[in-house]
Amino acid sequence: MTSAVVSQPAATTVAVRAEEVTKIYGVGEAAVRALNNITVEFAAGHYTAIMGPSGSGKSTLLHCLAGLDRVTAGRILLGDIEITACSEKELTVVRRDKIGFVFQSYNLIPTLTAIENITLPLALAGKKPDKQWLDRVIRTVGLADRLKHRPSELSGGQQQRVAVARALASRPEVIFADEPTGNLDSKASAEILEFMRQAVTDLGQTIVMVTHDSIAAGYSDRVVFLADGRIVDELENPTSETVIDRVKDIGE
Amino acid sequence: MRRVTIKGLLAHKLRFGLTALAVMLGVAFMSGTLVLTDTISRTFDNLFADVNRGTDAYVRSAQSLSSGFGGPVRRQRARVPASLVPEIEAVPGAAAAEGNLQFYAQLVDKKGKTVGNPQRGAPTFGFTWGTVKALNPYRLEPGGHAPVGSDQVVIDAGSAKSAGFKVGDQVTILTQGPPAKYQIVGIAKFGDADSAAGASAALFDTPTAQAITGATNQFDSISVVAQPGVSQGTLKNRIAAQLDNKAYQVLTGAQITKENQSDIKNALQFFNVALLVFALIALFVGTFIIFNTFSIVVAQRLRELALLRALGASGRQVLGSVLTEAVLVGLLASVVGLGAGIALSSVLKALLDAFGLDIPAGGTVVGARTVIVALVVGTGVTIISAIVPARKASRVPPIAAMRDVATEGRPHSGRRVLIGFSIVALGVLSLFAGLFGGAGIQLVGLGALIVFIGVFVLGPVVARPLSDVIGWPAARLRGITGALARDNAMRNPKRTSATAAALMIGVALVGFITIFAASAKESINAQVDESFKADFVITTGSGFGAAFGGFSPQLASDIAKLPQVGGSSPLRFNQAEFGGSSEFFAGVDPRSATKVFNMKVEDGNVGDLAQPNSVGISRSVANDKHLRIGSRVPAQFPNGATPLTVRTIYGNGNKQGFADYTLSIATVSAHYTSQLDQYVFVKLASGVSPLEGRQAIDPVLKAYPNAKLQDSTEFKDAQAAQINQLLGLIYVMLLLAVIIALIGIANTLALSIYERTRELGLLRAVGMSRRQLRSSIRWESVIISLLGTFLGLVIGLFFGWAVVEALKDQGFTKFAAPGGQLILVVIVGGFAGVLAAIFPARRAAKLDVLRAVTIE
Repeated sequence: MTSAVVSQPAATTVAVRAEEVTKIYGVGEAAVRALNNITVEFAAGHYTAIMGPSGSGKSTLLHCLAGLDRVTAGRILLGDIEITACSEKELTVVRRDKIGFVFQSYNLIPTLTAIENITLPLALAGKKPDKQWLDRVIRTVGLADRLKHRPSELSGGQQQRVAVARALASRPEVIFADEPTGNLDSKASAEILEFMRQAVTDLGQTIVMVTHDSIAAGYSDRVVFLADGRIVDELENPTSETVIDRVKDIGE
Repeated sequence: MRRVTIKGLLAHKLRFGLTALAVMLGVAFMSGTLVLTDTISRTFDNLFADVNRGTDAYVRSAQSLSSGFGGPVRRQRARVPASLVPEIEAVPGAAAAEGNLQFYAQLVDKKGKTVGNPQRGAPTFGFTWGTVKALNPYRLEPGGHAPVGSDQVVIDAGSAKSAGFKVGDQVTILTQGPPAKYQIVGIAKFGDADSAAGASAALFDTPTAQAITGATNQFDSISVVAQPGVSQGTLKNRIAAQLDNKAYQVLTGAQITKENQSDIKNALQFFNVALLVFALIALFVGTFIIFNTFSIVVAQRLRELALLRALGASGRQVLGSVLTEAVLVGLLASVVGLGAGIALSSVLKALLDAFGLDIPAGGTVVGARTVIVALVVGTGVTIISAIVPARKASRVPPIAAMRDVATEGRPHSGRRVLIGFSIVALGVLSLFAGLFGGAGIQLVGLGALIVFIGVFVLGPVVARPLSDVIGWPAARLRGITGALARDNAMRNPKRTSATAAALMIGVALVGFITIFAASAKESINAQVDESFKADFVITTGSGFGAAFGGFSPQLASDIAKLPQVGGSSPLRFNQAEFGGSSEFFAGVDPRSATKVFNMKVEDGNVGDLAQPNSVGISRSVANDKHLRIGSRVPAQFPNGATPLTVRTIYGNGNKQGFADYTLSIATVSAHYTSQLDQYVFVKLASGVSPLEGRQAIDPVLKAYPNAKLQDSTEFKDAQAAQINQLLGLIYVMLLLAVIIALIGIANTLALSIYERTRELGLLRAVGMSRRQLRSSIRWESVIISLLGTFLGLVIGLFFGWAVVEALKDQGFTKFAAPGGQLILVVIVGGFAGVLAAIFPARRAAKLDVLRAVTIE
């Protein structure tokens, strides 16, 4: 299957784009092509999922898009900023101001309370949070009564909600989520996915999520399928059933 | 199991590297000290063997008095009559006998400065030139001859080289007689060396030496050579049979050599012990580092250890594994430390030289004792420190491998508080017993050690609230980086306090010694102000109480003759036995003493001391011993017992800076062989300004190059300068302990950063810059350092107060805690924290963000 440029039908802005990105680990005989000449766009205000089997390169793609990893060839653009041309210092600022993260686990600083964790990127930037926006975010994820608690006093689902709130608090251009429901039970998973959906639908955020869970993928607007470092398929307006079917098709 | 241990060690070299460094430094200091003291010991052993090489028998007076003042113990002995020499030579088996005199003689170089400084380094001697070759260790260089007559002298090659003297030059020599010029008729080497371990020598013929010392028809001792075939023991017995055994002692050559050697060893004992104490302090600080490292390492490896247990290893095997690590690390560190110590010994020697303690040390002696001590102590210290963490490791339940088990004990347990306070109380008790109860200095040291351990146990209880307070400014001023630093310091109080403990010890000792020195200086100043009414003091300028050296009484009499001088008195301090106990006394001129000393006479007249066999006593002695004017005081001097009569009682005794007993100079001269004055106090005549006084006195002093003129301020400053010099040396010694403590802080930080890799990666991922991260770690280090500094100062203040209180009777009348210097200590403590954080912070900032957040 070729990895052709796939663009959105409607004229929406592109939040983040990868152009002919290749990522190779190792040298010589042991070299591994994690990403093989990928070009893909992610629309602003949309919820996109990246799926694929283990070793497909989905996590690598996410890390490169977020500026956490360096590409071997190609360009990555976040809005107008060319991530691949940024220095480490510039990347730090980008991570602080323009990107939000939700990891699979261990998202929070254990010595800080929930509210301190949520405002952490802003504190690092020395900025004061927008009170209205912050209240809205906290209400959206339903944490108003847990703000003074430490992570050790919160359940797994609540911790992830704090992480989502933190990702939203600085009003980033893109939120990158790496298997955000990986460690949660089905109820907590559903809650998180619902909040992320709301963030996109009601608050206009852009989310790029890596997942192996078809139910999670069902919450997104679009699923991009990776295999062996290449984009092999796409699916608009997915449901968990259509995702499972498409995965089966790819496997054959 | 062994393979697991060894592989584990190799895999984490850096982890143990810093621990090993801490042990290594302590062992290096210890072995360096041992090597240095062994070397010095050997040097002196060889020296005395050379001096006494030809002596088969040695005769001296049986009358002697031991006197000492912390420093060299010198037996002051009576002299023997010269008439003994022919008597001894007549003894069958004696080939030749010769009398010796040994006295103070200091050369003045061509620029008018004295050669050598007997208070700071090797003594400056005058000797009789031995005509019996076997008895004379000095060998003339070609071109010279032995001294004959009262104006000829032979000097040692060392002094000749350093002062540029040649045969034929004139040289002024200071003795207890008036300074006089002599012609150098020969230059002599001491055996093969230029001098006897740096001591200068001026050799005169016998009559001249006797004239200089006032020892008419007397000698200090008589050396005897045996005829071939006669053993030393035989000769000694035969001589002893001929002499009055109550008046004279006879020793073999071997015996006198041994006695000289052990005398000097005793004299140096204080210095040896002091150095070793510093080495032990460094090692003690090291134990905290080791304890901390092993605690952290065990905590980090909990899962791995639990896995081993789950796979069937017993608790004892796990304990053995951790202890084996300790043994290997300790052994390696000790071996390296030993090597470093041998190299360090010459650095130590240079350090002592720089601070004015010039002790000869030729060659380097590495004894078996040094090697064994280094290895045993180094390894032992490591093992002992690792025991508690090792036991913790052995108690890990196997289930911990499957899930995270909270094993952190509560830092606030009531048990901890109870045990901690008990230990501190025990330490304080021991300390007080040693200080106030007279139970000895070892108990003081032990008490201090126990107090440190007690505070260490209590540490976790106070660490959290204290870190909160100390870190408050950081959180306020530095925003999130400061707040994170403070939170990190607070979140593991056990670790924080263990890290801070090492620095605490160093700071406590620095604080203590600062307070002690400041109090000493204040007390001395108070004493000087209290006791001395004089305008000027003439001293040799340096040396605590001048145990060796001074100037001729001629100086005092020259000064007294000046019209600008209203009154002057020389002063000699020495020791004698009064009423059975060894006490200090002051020798003064009875006619002028009250003009220059503020004695606060209460009864009788100081002038009456001019009467023979008189003594003046202080009020406290009079009260203690129920004495009045006219009472008898039995006194024992080097040349015999003499009863003295009390002629005056005065208020200012030892405590006030004067002396509990006072004698006239005439009395002192009659009983002691050394006739040197240590001070001359001068009161100007009325109407004479200080400037005019100086202008009159300075020309007189030109003839006495080792004498300095000081007014009361300069005198106080000179005393303070000596204390400062010693203080400087002690600071440098403690510096090592402080450096080890800093290594400990850096070590702990580095290990805890490794532990917090994911957390730090997360911070970087959400936008913390490298600089902010470094700053946060630096602040954390500063908070920990300040915690240790604060605790250390509290302890140091307590120790300082306790010791000064205990020494009240010894003249420590003032307690001084110099605020400025102590604040400086706090600032340095904080800065030390910055220093310790450099390496860990850079490492943390270099974290690959991606690796960090994806780490399992």
